[in-house]
Amino acid sequence: MSKFKKGGKKDAPGVNTSSLPDIVFMLLFFFMVATTTKDADPTVEVTQPTGVRAEDMTPFKQRSEIDFLYLGVPRNKARADQFDMGYALFLDNVAQPSPGDLYNVNTVRRWKLDKFDAKPDRMKQPLKEVITCVKADEKAPTGIIFDIRKELQEIEALKLAYAVKDNSNY
Amino acid sequence: MAKRDIPEINAGSMADIAFLLLIFFLVTTTMDRDKAYIRPIPKKVEIKTPPVELQQRDICDIVANSQNQLMFRKELVKDPDEISDLILEFFRKNEKLTSAETARLAMDKSYEGFDFPFYNRFGMAEIDQKIKETTEEAEAIEKVDGADPALIEYYWSKVKEWEKKKSALKLYAKPELPEISPQAHIRVEVQIKTGYEYFAKIQSEIEEALFELRDDAAQKIWGFGYGRIITRLGNEPADTEYLAKKELLELLYPARIIEVTPKK
Repeated sequence: MSKFKKGGKKDAPGVNTSSLPDIVFMLLFFFMVATTTKDADPTVEVTQPTGVRAEDMTPFKQRSEIDFLYLGVPRNKARADQFDMGYALFLDNVAQPSPGDLYNVNTVRRWKLDKFDAKPDRMKQPLKEVITCVKADEKAPTGIIFDIRKELQEIEALKLAYAVKDNSNY
Repeated sequence: MAKRDIPEINAGSMADIAFLLLIFFLVTTTMDRDKAYIRPIPKKVEIKTPPVELQQRDICDIVANSQNQLMFRKELVKDPDEISDLILEFFRKNEKLTSAETARLAMDKSYEGFDFPFYNRFGMAEIDQKIKETTEEAEAIEKVDGADPALIEYYWSKVKEWEKKKSALKLYAKPELPEISPQAHIRVEVQIKTGYEYFAKIQSEIEEALFELRDDAAQKIWGFGYGRIITRLGNEPADTEYLAKKELLELLYPARIIEVTPKK
């Protein structure tokens, strides 16, 4: 005459999963907001040097006021001989006929002007204001960067940015 | 006909859809922010003007050669992290001198800060006087028939410069506005084969030094750091109060950086 039932194997109740989509959506929105898309996968090897107090380029990216170029040794080592001192340029691809192709310094001018022309008028900033951000490998010769600088000076694109890896957060 | 219930939609696959999207974003995005040092490129000059006489004390040259050795003002630097401290010394050595001391010591070769840039100090009366003078000059030029518009522009820009100093001094709330010698600058020299990491290191050290100088000044004047001003302007780019603060700090510690194109 006991109040408690003994024995009788019971099934474990199923876990309610109806809030699973909510959780997943939350994660999804977090990642959508917190990340920026990678617009190009460079075919040159770039290990950035570290630096401090560098300026965040995200606001310029959001306003598409910035063009990136990468300077490094081609991933395909066999192609290195074609380039000045073995370092090739990879340009972020908007008006680029064959993405992934590598260039020497003399194409910088064409690329900048093409990108400028391709932009719709309402988003256009004067060429002088559009930043050119050089992401160079830490071993890359600085002479090439100054060659790029000279090309930009010729077309009066007068803002240059030297990219570094900055792990500090402020 | 009896009203039928609308059948419920099965939401069991919602999680799958959301997962799919989640994984897509996870794969296609990068978390690291792009950080860089923005440097203006000087405009190309067509007409060759005779070079300005520079005093050695106003030049803070940092050299990195192709053997990746660093030199600061002609002396070899062992530890690259020292450069920011050396730049701080360059700015601070003669900063506290009064006008009278400056006039005396600038001639005194035995003074230890002789090789460092001196500061000019402007009181409010002096600035007002300068504004008056430059305005008169600009107006006189404007009256001349067939005056070059570029020249007129130049004279008015001088007036604006002094007006900027006036508002900066008001904000500074001290009797005098110290201003480093207008020719004082940091000069970065590299060779063609110098590794980019050394160039970037120099830029990093310059930025670190400038930040510390401005941060210290901001702490002294307003009791909060330069970082706060930057953050504020990042969120609210048109905040006039903070823009004026930033302008004052940039006037006190200007970032005049010259990057010398390496010779072939």
